[in-house]
Amino acid sequence: MITGYGHFVQLAESLQWDETTIDLTADAEAWPKLEQEEFDQVLGLLAGFCVGETSVATHLTSFQSAASTDDRMVEVLQAQARDEARHARFFDRVVREVAEIPGDTMADRIDALRDRISPDLLELFEERLPATAARVAEDHEQLTAAVGLYHMILEGVVLTAGQHALLQALKGCSVKMPGMVKGMELVLRDERWHIGFGSRVIQSADVVDDQMEELLTQGVKAASAWGDLISHDDIKHVEHLHQRRLKSVGIKFW
Amino acid sequence: MTVEQTEAPAEATRWLCEMCGFIYDPEEGDPDSGIPPGTPFEDIPDDWMCPICGAEKSDFRALEPGEFPEM
Repeated sequence: MITGYGHFVQLAESLQWDETTIDLTADAEAWPKLEQEEFDQVLGLLAGFCVGETSVATHLTSFQSAASTDDRMVEVLQAQARDEARHARFFDRVVREVAEIPGDTMADRIDALRDRISPDLLELFEERLPATAARVAEDHEQLTAAVGLYHMILEGVVLTAGQHALLQALKGCSVKMPGMVKGMELVLRDERWHIGFGSRVIQSADVVDDQMEELLTQGVKAASAWGDLISHDDIKHVEHLHQRRLKSVGIKFW
Repeated sequence: MTVEQTEAPAEATRWLCEMCGFIYDPEEGDPDSGIPPGTPFEDIPDDWMCPICGAEKSDFRALEPGEFPEM
């Protein structure tokens, strides 16, 4: 079982952090010394996060209107939207100040990084999520399905896989980048309660058979969305976590 | 004549994952992870992880009786 929505509001308040206070000086100095393979993996993952976090921050608004009959849930979604916007700003700050990606705006920098992002990842965040958000804005009954995609698949599988891979890559790099490590750990901490909240919504919902099947198959497929930026073992690990999470919220599929 | 008084069995302590809100209930255990129902939290192996968010056992705290009634 998972605790009630009130707990998530309190938790969110206690976990606030400011992305502008993270010192990236050492990271910026270390960046040019990255080996080519490290450079490609770290920048590729950062590029994916810029797209992913910007998209989730943008589209969470539709969820709030769909949840409008439950004030507590709206409060949690508002707290989460605040987190997601902060994550997007953090990753944009890293690509701007550490990787020195050119561009006047976040959108410009995302465009400059687009070639490094797999088509599967772009499809998830730039097509499927906006389409799902549009559906839930039109039909509030779609909220459970939308949470299934957003919290269980995009956050629970795709972003979690990328966060662990980036943290692992940073810690194993030939140079130290403490500011990025610190920021990633804080992002991961936020994502844990987001996933807990999504799991709570799914646990409380009357999820029908085809939705269960979709949650499972989408999650397994989405684990590979980062392409070769994430190892096969890490993909399998995230798939396992996804299946275990679904079982824990009462979705029994085998 | 004496009346036997029986005490209600003490409720097993539940544990909260402070990272994601998952509550471990000893009565339920975590069978999917090989933890049978009836297993107190203290007896779970140290490498067990939260089934929702993957947090470690050390990220849990014991709930007070009646805490978090909103389920």
